Amino acid sequence: MGYGRSDSYRVATTQDKDDRSPKKKKGAKDMDDLKKEVPITEHKMSIEEVCRKYQTDIVQGLTNAKAAEYLIRDGPNALTPPPTTPEWVKFCRQLFGGFSVLLWTGAILCFLAYAIQAATEDDPSRSARSHMFDRLSLCLQLYLGIVLTAVVVITGCFSYFQEAKSSKIMESFKNMVPQQALVIREGEKVQINAEEVVGGDLVEVKGGDRIPADIRVVSAHGCKVDNSSLTGESEPQSRSPDCTHDNPLETRNIAFFSTNCVEGTARGIVICTGDNTVMGRIATLTSGLETGKTPIAKEIEHFIHIITGVAVFLGLTFFILAIVLGYSWLEAVIFLIGIIVANVPEGLLATVTVCLTLTAKRMAKKNCLVKNLEAVETLGSTSTICSDKTGTLTQNRMTVAHMWFDNQIHEADTTEDQSGASFDKSSITWISLARVAALCNRAQFKAGQDQLPILKRDVAGDASESALLKCIELSCGSVRAMRDRNKKVAEIPFNSTNKYQLSVHETEDLNDNRYLLVMKGAPERVLECCSTILVQGKEQPLDEELKEAFQNAYMELGGLGERVLGFCHVLLPEDQYPKGFAFDTDDVNFQTKDLCFVGLMSMIDPPRAAVPDAVGKCRSAGIKVIMVTGDHPITAKAIAKGVGIISEGNETVEDIAARLNIPVSQVNPRDAKACVCHGTDLKDLSQDQMDDILRNHTEIVFARTSPQQKLIIVEGCQRLGAIVAVTGDGVNDSPALKKADIGVAMGISGSDVSKQAADMILLDDNFASIVTGVEEGRLIFDNLKKSIAYTLTSNIPEITPFLLFIIVNIPLPLGTITILCIDLGTDMVPAISLAYEAAESDIMKRQPRNPFRDKLVNERLISIAYGQIVTAGFALGGFFAYFVILAENGFLPTTLVGIRLNWDDRSCNDLEDTYGQQWTYEQRKIVEFTCHTAFFVSIVVVQWADVIICKTRRNSVFQQGMRNKILIFGLFEETALAAFLSYCPGMDVALRMYPLKPSWWFCAFPYSFLIFVYDEVRKLLIRRNPGGWVERETYY
Amino acid sequence: MSKDGEKSGWKEYIWNPRTREFMGRTASSWGLILLFYVVFYIFLAGLFALTMYVMLQTLDDYKPTWQDRLATPGMVIRPKSDETYEIVYDTRNTETWDLYAQALDKFLTPYNNSLQTEKNKECTPDEYFLQEDTGDVKNNPKRSCQFNRTILEACSGINDRYYGYQIGQPCIIIKLNRVIGMLPGKDGQAPFVTCAAKREDTDKIGEMVYFPPNGIFNLMYYPYYGKKAQVRFCIKSIANIVYNNRVANTHIAIQFVKYRTQCRLLKMSWAMFLQVNYSQPLVAVKFLNITTNEDVNIECRINATNIPIGSERDKFAGRVSFKLRINTK
Repeated sequence: MGYGRSDSYRVATTQDKDDRSPKKKKGAKDMDDLKKEVPITEHKMSIEEVCRKYQTDIVQGLTNAKAAEYLIRDGPNALTPPPTTPEWVKFCRQLFGGFSVLLWTGAILCFLAYAIQAATEDDPSRSARSHMFDRLSLCLQLYLGIVLTAVVVITGCFSYFQEAKSSKIMESFKNMVPQQALVIREGEKVQINAEEVVGGDLVEVKGGDRIPADIRVVSAHGCKVDNSSLTGESEPQSRSPDCTHDNPLETRNIAFFSTNCVEGTARGIVICTGDNTVMGRIATLTSGLETGKTPIAKEIEHFIHIITGVAVFLGLTFFILAIVLGYSWLEAVIFLIGIIVANVPEGLLATVTVCLTLTAKRMAKKNCLVKNLEAVETLGSTSTICSDKTGTLTQNRMTVAHMWFDNQIHEADTTEDQSGASFDKSSITWISLARVAALCNRAQFKAGQDQLPILKRDVAGDASESALLKCIELSCGSVRAMRDRNKKVAEIPFNSTNKYQLSVHETEDLNDNRYLLVMKGAPERVLECCSTILVQGKEQPLDEELKEAFQNAYMELGGLGERVLGFCHVLLPEDQYPKGFAFDTDDVNFQTKDLCFVGLMSMIDPPRAAVPDAVGKCRSAGIKVIMVTGDHPITAKAIAKGVGIISEGNETVEDIAARLNIPVSQVNPRDAKACVCHGTDLKDLSQDQMDDILRNHTEIVFARTSPQQKLIIVEGCQRLGAIVAVTGDGVNDSPALKKADIGVAMGISGSDVSKQAADMILLDDNFASIVTGVEEGRLIFDNLKKSIAYTLTSNIPEITPFLLFIIVNIPLPLGTITILCIDLGTDMVPAISLAYEAAESDIMKRQPRNPFRDKLVNERLISIAYGQIVTAGFALGGFFAYFVILAENGFLPTTLVGIRLNWDDRSCNDLEDTYGQQWTYEQRKIVEFTCHTAFFVSIVVVQWADVIICKTRRNSVFQQGMRNKILIFGLFEETALAAFLSYCPGMDVALRMYPLKPSWWFCAFPYSFLIFVYDEVRKLLIRRNPGGWVERETYY
Repeated sequence: MSKDGEKSGWKEYIWNPRTREFMGRTASSWGLILLFYVVFYIFLAGLFALTMYVMLQTLDDYKPTWQDRLATPGMVIRPKSDETYEIVYDTRNTETWDLYAQALDKFLTPYNNSLQTEKNKECTPDEYFLQEDTGDVKNNPKRSCQFNRTILEACSGINDRYYGYQIGQPCIIIKLNRVIGMLPGKDGQAPFVTCAAKREDTDKIGEMVYFPPNGIFNLMYYPYYGKKAQVRFCIKSIANIVYNNRVANTHIAIQFVKYRTQCRLLKMSWAMFLQVNYSQPLVAVKFLNITTNEDVNIECRINATNIPIGSERDKFAGRVSFKLRINTK
């Protein structure tokens, strides 16, 4: 139809006649080329020229031979699927990516140390001391190496299957039914697979079909295509053989691959197939884009740097110390490796993966499907959301929004669930208006949908007519019944010359033999046909005053970005048009002037109900929401205002100019917070100007943008340091979706290409789910911090025993097995449970994190974890238990210092303790392993306090409460596990863990209590003195 | 504090002349944080010391809290080669067995009759030498019974300086680990040692003689009252430090300090060293005609009704195994 809309400029995609390159060029140049424009010229050629070019015939079509030849030359008419990563590569990526590298390095170091020792094992010149050490660390290294490898492999498998699950859901989106196309070859219509369509083929499409390739229309009957996925325009566009625009994307005579023919029929010559189509070029552009690392991947990398730094620092320190203490080089190297490896938090990889998975699951429940686990957090870091309009912010469904009758604008209910306000339906004018709208309307509900709510029903017909149909059906009941009562006698369908549509009906009143003529169309055209106007049910002459009222209403509704239709009717006088009058619609033999104007109805693709709220939430969360749409600026601005992207009271430069009545050029752009930027202007902007716009306007709408420009906008935001989320559903959004830090596609309305490109899919198409995503993302970032703090705190106490073992030659207080029991056993559930921790404050009220400043793991966290909590609680608690057990068994601390050599000497079976008793090797080893068990149990006891400490970063646990059930479960679980490991018969053989005397459980209690009190005081000081020294030094 | 992620800023991170920051901190900032950590760690150290002190107060001076791990006392043989329980020598090569003889000499020195009569009491055999405390009054120092070297007769090394090694009839000395308060044997039945060859070697072991007869540990040597109760005097001989303790050179200093402290506690001059007067009873086994030029695996066990058989894992609890190989050709 296209009334009331004249500003159809698709300027961004300019035309370049010289650069016609249908064959794909390889390399980087190709990418730039793809970013530019669409090189199609056929729309400007005459049909004969096109036929000549493709050596086809306008009636007969291609010969089969020719078609086969072209098929071989150009390949099948299908998009090259994005280079799918082979499964094993994906698996390897899981296995060797990110955090795993740290563990692999650890494992390799372990094996290396093992190899060094195994190689020197048989060296006869080795001293007694190194022999002792060899044996001990030999199994230590091997154990660690094997376990590290196992952890990486298991976690790798876990996340691989997790993502595989997501991609399976992705698979299900794919339309498996092969597309068919109706082509004419050698004069015969044949149904073939769309893949076999070649350039030059003559194809026929009808309403409901998918366009099989880019085609140059040669003839069309009321053909309309839905280009929304390509251009973002929500209204179907009509197609005809005439070239109406230089730009191939704007012209009427080209229909594009994979768009839908909504109604009518058309015949055309295929000009591009497969990857050469406009759609194909966008898809190729998308799959060719490089995407950066996710923010969480960067954070983990940063974390690895810190951990490696700490490990190497400690390792080297003790390497030097070992040399100074007189150990051999070899031993020192093995110490070095041992310490570095001990610093690797074995359980953390699993914890992080599980935390992310849990969040991903939680989000999936809320209809956010996360394709890439790491993307879970990205939304939380997002500082800018570039949102497409059509289908994302709006319902992608034309709906009647306003009506003007009785010289008054009435608002219709546009909400999805009909919860909005209603208007006065009693007016006679309304009844007339409804009748005109219902009768002069070719749309109808598809059959078999009586159970569905009206708004959910499918309609055959044009979008505007469907909108009218639904509106009338909702307010006046069955339209079909009304049409049955008023039988249609004649009809003139819409055409672009008349710009109106009219039909003649019998009246409802059986005694009334008059005919009712109803007309709808472009308001100004309809008004021209009228001489009277219906006001309050009475016909009044259309005077200047009413005309002005009409003009104002028309302007106002048009200014809202709505498509306005005018309606009029007349009861034809019976004397001129008696019953049975033959209405001739070709050669109009009846009155089309002096009609009675009834009213205006305006339609818009209304915003989704949840969107304004969601936008508001994003705003208050410090996230800038930018609208990037292919649609027209007026519509875009109206929707932007409707959903709050341009908030109330904020003006654009143009608004200010209009208000002050001065030219736009005189307005200081700094005064305008909001900005509506047209694709045309965007094209001419330099990078600096672009940055300027993005930096200085808080509320930006980009209208009439091409896919390439969307990409440029995203890149611009990223250049300014923002973490950008892009939401979109169309193919035109997919390059931007791919380029964005996180692309969010729509699950229902989204195109395959966009879903492929996205990292996250909103299964219910609800923009509000993004807010959930942001919330979950921020929460998981906070909670990961807590998890890491928790896990790291048990890391150092695992090293200190080893250090003391080296320095003061005491029996080893904590063995490898027990370390692994902590890292991979007792620590796991509490660490994971922190992922369930509720937010401390309203995380949606604070600014997004600054990726340069707010790190996942920072020096303060390390300082807290390693320097304070650890020494206070773990190390001391564990050592205390260790000393208690040894002392109670007869080895007082004074005896222990320096005892190590004899202690670990297998041949010394009469080692004397402080009391003078003598111990065999095995007897004292049992005591030593009991010490390991006690150290382990002490760590568990201190971990109770630690997990409660880590629950909060600022609040007191008394403010936060203990509502996290998983955490409480975790506390019990770790205690039960510790008790099990200690007391279960057979553990002495299996893991060398021994039963503890009940009193030994309590050794660490004072330390557990101490760190709890210490940390509560620390948090109290943080809360009391915001920005004070304590906060600066210890808030992580 | 933050590095701001700029690579070029590394130098500036180490020393920023503009803000006078070293590693991202000014001098006062460094001072403050270091002061904090110093105070913090001193506090922790104090706290740890306090808990340790409290714990040590709960301990008994004369008997450890738990002895359950020592239910089956360990057994040890002498001579012991450096690392292993293997006695391998060649009768024709003096050097190979002289080592063993020397080791035994050294080991048996404290058992010289002169020293024993000087230090220890002559007790009534075949009954426990109980020296009970009366209530809170400790009956200290406790005496110990004489174990004269001559009890070992042919294995005492007095008549045969080489303990039979040179003629292929070696002596092995076996001792039972000290456990405070342990009263092995029951109903006047003294614990005794029996040695036997392991399965396949049974015909190779030949005859054995035990000293004292039947290989018994006389009841009068039990119970042991612990190092502290049975301390008698500190002697001025550094050689005695090595008594029963093989100490690596680097650790002499530590041992030195330890003994000095203990002597001080007993109000003796620091220059004198602690000497324990308890003499562990010994059993010697002499192999009379063991098969030569072949490995013979021998296991000796303690036989006492009230000593449980040790765990399978511990090869030295209540038993001891060793390999004997005498080469003659």
